[in-house]
Amino acid sequence: MALTQHNLGTVVAFEFVRTIKKKGFVIATLAIPVLLIVVFALVYASNASSKASADAQKSAQFSFAYTDASGIILSPGAKAAGGTYSDNPEAAIAAVKDGSSEAYFQFPADPTKEPVKVYGADKGVFENGKYEAVAKQLLEASAQYAVGSPRLTAALTGKVQFDSETFKDDKVAAGVGGVIPPMLFLVVFYISMILLSNQMLNSTLEEKENRVTEMILTTLNPTTLITGKIISLFMVGLVQILVFLAPVGLAYLFFRDRLALPDMDLSSLVFEPGPMITGALLLVGGFTVFTGVLVAIGAIMPTAKEAGTIFGPLMAMMFIPFYTFSLVISNPNALIVQVFTYFPLTAPVTALLRNAFGTLNPVEAAIVIVELLVVGSLIIRLAVHLFRYGSIEYGRKLSIAGTFRRSELTAK
Amino acid sequence: MTLGDAAEPLVHIEDFRMDFGDTTVIRDLSFDVHAGETFGFLGSNGSGKTTTLRALLGIYQPTAGTLHIDGKVFEPRDGARLGYLPEERGLYKKEPVLDVMVYFGRLKGLSKNAARSWSENYLERVGIPEKAKTRLDKLSGGQQQKVQLGVTIMNNPELLILDEPTKGFDPVNRRLLMDIIEEHKRAGATVIMVTHQMEEVERLCDRVILLKDGVARAYGTVEEVQEEFGGTLYRVTYEGVLPESDLYDVISAGDGRAELAPRQGASEEKVLRELVETGAGIRSFTPARISLDEIFIKVYGEQHELAEG
Repeated sequence: MALTQHNLGTVVAFEFVRTIKKKGFVIATLAIPVLLIVVFALVYASNASSKASADAQKSAQFSFAYTDASGIILSPGAKAAGGTYSDNPEAAIAAVKDGSSEAYFQFPADPTKEPVKVYGADKGVFENGKYEAVAKQLLEASAQYAVGSPRLTAALTGKVQFDSETFKDDKVAAGVGGVIPPMLFLVVFYISMILLSNQMLNSTLEEKENRVTEMILTTLNPTTLITGKIISLFMVGLVQILVFLAPVGLAYLFFRDRLALPDMDLSSLVFEPGPMITGALLLVGGFTVFTGVLVAIGAIMPTAKEAGTIFGPLMAMMFIPFYTFSLVISNPNALIVQVFTYFPLTAPVTALLRNAFGTLNPVEAAIVIVELLVVGSLIIRLAVHLFRYGSIEYGRKLSIAGTFRRSELTAK
Repeated sequence: MTLGDAAEPLVHIEDFRMDFGDTTVIRDLSFDVHAGETFGFLGSNGSGKTTTLRALLGIYQPTAGTLHIDGKVFEPRDGARLGYLPEERGLYKKEPVLDVMVYFGRLKGLSKNAARSWSENYLERVGIPEKAKTRLDKLSGGQQQKVQLGVTIMNNPELLILDEPTKGFDPVNRRLLMDIIEEHKRAGATVIMVTHQMEEVERLCDRVILLKDGVARAYGTVEEVQEEFGGTLYRVTYEGVLPESDLYDVISAGDGRAELAPRQGASEEKVLRELVETGAGIRSFTPARISLDEIFIKVYGEQHELAEG
């Protein structure tokens, strides 16, 4: 037992250190934060110039002509904004065309039925928006004056904030703030699988391709080897996630305003114990299932290239549930959602989604968790078995049935 | 684990059978290897030697029979004092030499410092100390073999199982390997060696087993096996034509030289008289022991004859 633990630690340390020391790993891991830093720097610079540009536009004045068939527009307001009333639309349009006038606004008799026509001298895609903005502002200000109440104008134009509260089991329901925390388990699942799946696939192939299996199998229990590899890969994944998140965290803490990052109100997040525990267990179960399958593929296939042919369809299983995203949320009892909830390769994503949106009841959650852990453990045992009997089939694809026929035989 | 009880064989194989699908590759194989002896495991390619070793080490599950090391089925946790050099060689090729050696040393129960120290001393001994931090795949084939051998003999194994140890070695490295095997033998290690180099077997091995088509065709000390296959032969030089006789078989003949294996009941005196009386023009007649090489050819020659027949 002591030697097994010692060997597990030795395998974990060896696999972890050699993975993070690889040039390819260092480059791939550092590339993303470097890319993020470059993007942030560009955004920072762009925002600075945009702000200067916006400030300049605010202070910029332009003259325009307008006609008003509706009678809504107040001439003092229009005059203050740089407007001049015109009674000849054709002449006003012609003036814009020949450049003698910057803009012309044609307010129709009924703005609810006909569009306000805006003509302007071309100042570029971004700056041209100022014409419409001024016309709209002029119309709103005049309408507000006519109504005589800013509150009524706001109500009429829909510029009102709503604060909703819903109740569940006599308590205020968490809403989106309750969806986000358990949804993080799905994010972690995706990130870990995307980052680690290829390494999982190759981890046992390496012993096979390097013909090192026999040396290993006489010094190390295959279960210890594969457990050690999985633990080290998980640690590698954590290192990658930390490296990736570091620039995001630093940017959010120190440069949020300059980078125009959204101001997240973390106090609105609700960490309900049920969905959080369920999410964590589904994550562990899903990770177990996919890890087992990937290691098993590595044990069967003779080379990484051939393993890649199975790898693609397997990864697709992680994304297929998103095709039924709306059903997963709105109609969890639909047949397809039920199938995806219980089929081991689609269950992790489907169940994590349903758990986050609150459509996975406790009984379903318990069944899926037990299923994933049991199936995952069986697959890992199968993977160990295939590694043990398959990895010395150097250069040959393994017959799974063949390994069982062989292992059914006893040494007694 | 301390291997070997003088009263019991260190390796005990009894009625071992191995089937792959419908094909039986080993049938009813039984033999023992005693602690401290060097045991030669002989046979042509495909005769079942590697399969037997893999089954003994738990890499294959045997179809039937008993395969014990030190009285029990081998498990990896017993591997700390085992040195196994498999036929299919390989280590983690993209890792530095020292890292790989220390890793295997740790798996065999050595502390990190002890594994490092042992590895550095070994690399010094085999003349590649400067390669300690070099990736394995940057080493020459011979240098890789040295590292592989180092990993095999780490922690002074009490049982060394070497599957074609000289495969891929040049003569200089082969000499080094043989020296190392002899050192371990002198230190009391038990050595099981699969090889096609019969002169090495005659020099190193106390006992041998010769396998053909998964069946033991000879088993015992080198002398016993030589005796079983005729024991003595006669090397003669002659002029003219070598006559055929019921008293001997001609093993080889040409350029005035021949090796004759006496048949049952044919004494040295009778054979010599026969040669002289038939006027073969005998110039010299030297009794000698049949070599393992000749026994090997004799056993596998039958196979070729059968195949041709």
